Amino acid sequence: MASKHLTAALRRTSPFRSFSTAAATTAHPPPAAEPYDDGEGISMKGVKIAGRPLYLDMQATSPLDPRVHDAMLPYNLSRYGNPHSRTHLYGWESDAAVEAARAQVASLINASPKEIVFTSGATEANNISVKGVMNFYKDKKRHVITTQTEHKCVLDSCRHLQQQGFDVTYLPVGPDGLVDLDQLRSAVRSNTGLVSVMMVNNEIGVIQPMEEIGKICKEFNVPLHTDAAQALGKIPIDVEKMNVSLMSLSGHKIYGPKGVGALYMRRRPRIRVEPQMNGGGQERGIRSGTVPTPLVVGMGAACELAMREMEYDERRINKLQERLLNGIRARLDGVVVNGSTERRYVGNLNLSFAYVEGESLLMGLKEVAVSSGSACTSASLEPSYVLRALGVDEDMAHTSIRFGIGRFTTEAEIDRAIELTVNQVEKLREMSPLYEMVKEGIDIKSIQWTQH
Amino acid sequence: MASAVPPPRRSEVLSLFRSLLRTAREFADYNIREYTKRRTIDAFRQNRDLSDPSAVSAAFSDGKSQLEVARRQAIVYSLYAPKVKSVMEIKH
Repeated sequence: MASKHLTAALRRTSPFRSFSTAAATTAHPPPAAEPYDDGEGISMKGVKIAGRPLYLDMQATSPLDPRVHDAMLPYNLSRYGNPHSRTHLYGWESDAAVEAARAQVASLINASPKEIVFTSGATEANNISVKGVMNFYKDKKRHVITTQTEHKCVLDSCRHLQQQGFDVTYLPVGPDGLVDLDQLRSAVRSNTGLVSVMMVNNEIGVIQPMEEIGKICKEFNVPLHTDAAQALGKIPIDVEKMNVSLMSLSGHKIYGPKGVGALYMRRRPRIRVEPQMNGGGQERGIRSGTVPTPLVVGMGAACELAMREMEYDERRINKLQERLLNGIRARLDGVVVNGSTERRYVGNLNLSFAYVEGESLLMGLKEVAVSSGSACTSASLEPSYVLRALGVDEDMAHTSIRFGIGRFTTEAEIDRAIELTVNQVEKLREMSPLYEMVKEGIDIKSIQWTQH
Repeated sequence: MASAVPPPRRSEVLSLFRSLLRTAREFADYNIREYTKRRTIDAFRQNRDLSDPSAVSAAFSDGKSQLEVARRQAIVYSLYAPKVKSVMEIKH
């Protein structure tokens, strides 16, 4: 399980903190220069690679677009005012920047700027939506409907609500990852206060039928919340067409900065929430706390860029995804795509390789930064709950790899990823006695394993 | 907006194109470098057949501001370039 910890730890830690597993070969001077990369390759966590891995994990986070960074820098350097300071230029210019960013975010989803509340990320926005709505309407509404493949923060918030005495229905999904609309329809009760379905799943990339779900919610007059962190700027979002009341948005999935997100809250008809962060009443009382101007400006710039580049990026990423899938399939059999192939976001490719063990596959793919399953579950040893909800077999769930393709991915990187993946899978399969048996025509599932 | 500004001459457009590509080469980061090159070429190709002079002027001034952004960011990225390059840049 070392590689799961490796990938998780590499993502979590920065070079400036000391490592608990002392695999790094050189001494650790305090802060600054951590000599883990010394011009001759990188040695970290007992792994040696010649250069920085090629990045194919866009669902975990995405690099900052230089244009976004350029928009943010002045607010880190000279325009450092608090946007809530009303009495001087620093406050005024900071506030103007925040309002401009608000309009940029709003126009990407066809909302009004007055409906956007800035938060610290999509997790916070999810928390406000789920817990805030239910606590506000707790006298009349006691029931929440969500799906089994939601993000951990939504599921955890629902569990918290259950402990408080609310009822939660976790809708199952089909083997393609999509919610069954009839099941949703029959699950709605008279005291249902919220339906929460994520637009694009972070692990398998499946796009839920938001417009149909919105229609059902409108019919029963139930507010619809959607976690659009992975969808923003990648697929067209229209809050009017989807009849969404609440939407969680994240900055760092669309080439913006980490630590910022937004919550869309519909004004007509008005949805009310109980604030989860109390304080000076900023952001219309929904989320108190100083609005981080540089981050917010970055998110606004990222949204505006996404609006301009969406079509170009989608076309390119689609071609790259086809290239990746065809390249792997041309040289390997037993490759399964997890989740619907028609209704999926093109930049997310979650593959399972039969007869190969997931951890060993990841350990051999050190020059490619990919993840198996999602970052939030990588600390535990269990295979991803999303894949389990799809009905994927345990062994296939363990060997799933998620390739995330983005704006900056090049064709050469895809080709190198294909080569590395295929080589590693072939190497592992050659060593695998199970694979030998399959090649001889034995059906693995019919084997009676004896206990020793 | 651009009513008084004459549309750019062909030589100016070509000069902008070459400057963008030259600036792209200066990025220390492999992915950003490739993206800047590719996006420049694709954007100029896409706008090649623009005929309306105000649209041409708008695209040209947009290109010029992008050039300024790219120049600044190329400097910033090189100031913080990691010592080890991407595996894509290392011969293998």
